[in-house]
Amino acid sequence: MTAERKAEDITAVRMVINWLGLGLFALLGVAAVVPLFLIIGDVYVKGIDAINRLGGLWHFLTELPPTPLDERGGIGPMLVGTLYMTALGALLGIAVGFPLGVYIGEMRKEKFANVARAGVNVLVEFPTIVVGLFVYAVMSLAKEDLNRYLLGPISNTISPLGEWIPWFIGPLDGFNAYAGAAALTLIMIPYVALITASAYASIEQPLREAAYATAGREFNALFIVLRKAVSRAVLTAALLGTAKIAGETAPLLFTALGNLYYASFTGPTAAVSLWIWYAAQTSYEVQIDSAYGAAAVLLTIILTIFIIARIRG
Amino acid sequence: MLGFLLVVLLIPYLIAAYGLLFVKLRWGLRLFGAFIVATIGLLTAMFLVEAYPIIARDGVAVFFQTRWDPVRESYGVLQALTGTVLTSAVAMALAMPMAIGVAVTINEILPARLRGIFGSLVDLTATMPTVIFGLWGLFVLGPFLKDAVNSVSRYLVGDDVMTSPYTLFTAGVLLAIMITPYAAAVIREGYALVPKPVEEAIYAVGATRFEAAFIKLRYVRNYILGGFFLALGRAMGETVAVAMVVGGNFSRFTTNILESGITISSLIALIFESGITISSLIALQFPNAASYQYMVPALFAGALLLTLFGLAINAVAIYIIQRGQI
Repeated sequence: MTAERKAEDITAVRMVINWLGLGLFALLGVAAVVPLFLIIGDVYVKGIDAINRLGGLWHFLTELPPTPLDERGGIGPMLVGTLYMTALGALLGIAVGFPLGVYIGEMRKEKFANVARAGVNVLVEFPTIVVGLFVYAVMSLAKEDLNRYLLGPISNTISPLGEWIPWFIGPLDGFNAYAGAAALTLIMIPYVALITASAYASIEQPLREAAYATAGREFNALFIVLRKAVSRAVLTAALLGTAKIAGETAPLLFTALGNLYYASFTGPTAAVSLWIWYAAQTSYEVQIDSAYGAAAVLLTIILTIFIIARIRG
Repeated sequence: MLGFLLVVLLIPYLIAAYGLLFVKLRWGLRLFGAFIVATIGLLTAMFLVEAYPIIARDGVAVFFQTRWDPVRESYGVLQALTGTVLTSAVAMALAMPMAIGVAVTINEILPARLRGIFGSLVDLTATMPTVIFGLWGLFVLGPFLKDAVNSVSRYLVGDDVMTSPYTLFTAGVLLAIMITPYAAAVIREGYALVPKPVEEAIYAVGATRFEAAFIKLRYVRNYILGGFFLALGRAMGETVAVAMVVGGNFSRFTTNILESGITISSLIALIFESGITISSLIALQFPNAASYQYMVPALFAGALLLTLFGLAINAVAIYIIQRGQI
């Protein structure tokens, strides 16, 4: 066999290995996203069917959840609770996460900024149930005194203002919507902070110098001029973070606890994700149906936020 | 009183931080940094305090006992710890090849137009609520895996190894799907940082695309290792989805391990039994924990363990990624 033939053979073998190897990588890559389609398909096929059987979309979105004996029902209280806690959590998360992100992104030369960055990195990976337990522990320590010295007097003073006040402000139970929102905030903060930080870190030096030169104060330079340069990334971070906390369950288990009725936010509060967790594990057909319906609604909310974030970002 | 002070001081603290932003910007920003560091310190301290009763009673034995018997007030989290280790092991074994596959598919195989879409799909997998994964695992994946594993095992050993659809193995497979995007994100980040001259040099010596991908993967091995640890952290802490499919069983561990000793085959048998992990132990047992004297401290001891694992794994991952920055 000549040397040329041998070289040709080796090339042929390498080409075969090339295609096989690339095929294997592609197969593995595709295997990672196939379950996504299976899950979305499963949730929508069973969920839409379940919503129709439980009384149509409007009924499902507003009514109380079905007891095992009911044939119709909805997720009204859960939807209200999820929207309230997610909105509060997201607002507070951005309010703290954004300045924190500016700090660890812009002041990288400070030693303490690196400590804070390590802290954020740890917090973003923290098991969410640990965050929930932490808020539960703080809440159980603070509740009694908080009610006696602060919330009791306040709610006595302002409750004549309207019927709606006790729904939002009043002595807290051990489980309440504000504890849930606090847990969601703690999950949202590092998420927003990290993306803000990397956006600020990627600003080019000439732009930064121009901002400092024109803005006058450092505050204006960082939060007004340079903010425009990173607003897109920060908005995307805020939207994705909101989508993430809207579906969180573990941190709400011991903070909001869940509820079956429309109830005051100062007591146990319902959430869509908590209802899915609870109802899926019962043995009643109608509640499992409502869990699938709830999953379809939750997935729609999250997909909407995600798609908006992708189009804007 | 302590907690009251904490909550009451927190609000003025954040207002002060905001106020300082307008007056003395740097100190305002530093206060936000201090907030996050204090939160982590407080969290660890809080768990130490809450777990103290059981650690004072049993010492570190609480982490090395297998018995979980609330009626006799005996709590050991070793089974849950074993469950966490086994599910994470299954999950990592499946997730790492997929994560590498995702990185290579996006950077080497797909045409430029499709890369963004494929990347978005992977990111969407990370954003999906874990409870929906749990729902799917409960009604679709669990029964499917039971059928699939049993038809293989009937052929190999002539018997069904998976008697229930809800086992540590089911939890591991579900976890693998959930954590792949996190590992993939880190590997993708590293892959994109391979310098252009290096890439050109690889092709200049006549490498095929597969060989090029292979060399680049070796080039970014620090990122692969970092992604491994970050995903491992996620796998150990994941709660809701795991709790829904893991079976929540305590008794198997003792019968399997104590009778036959810790061997490879007994561990494999254990994977196909229903079990429990630390995080799902907390989620499943907490609702009735208040009726026992030492169960709440025992669960906080579990949470403390999770926290320490989380801190250690993250420290390693961050160290590896920063050391290997290209």
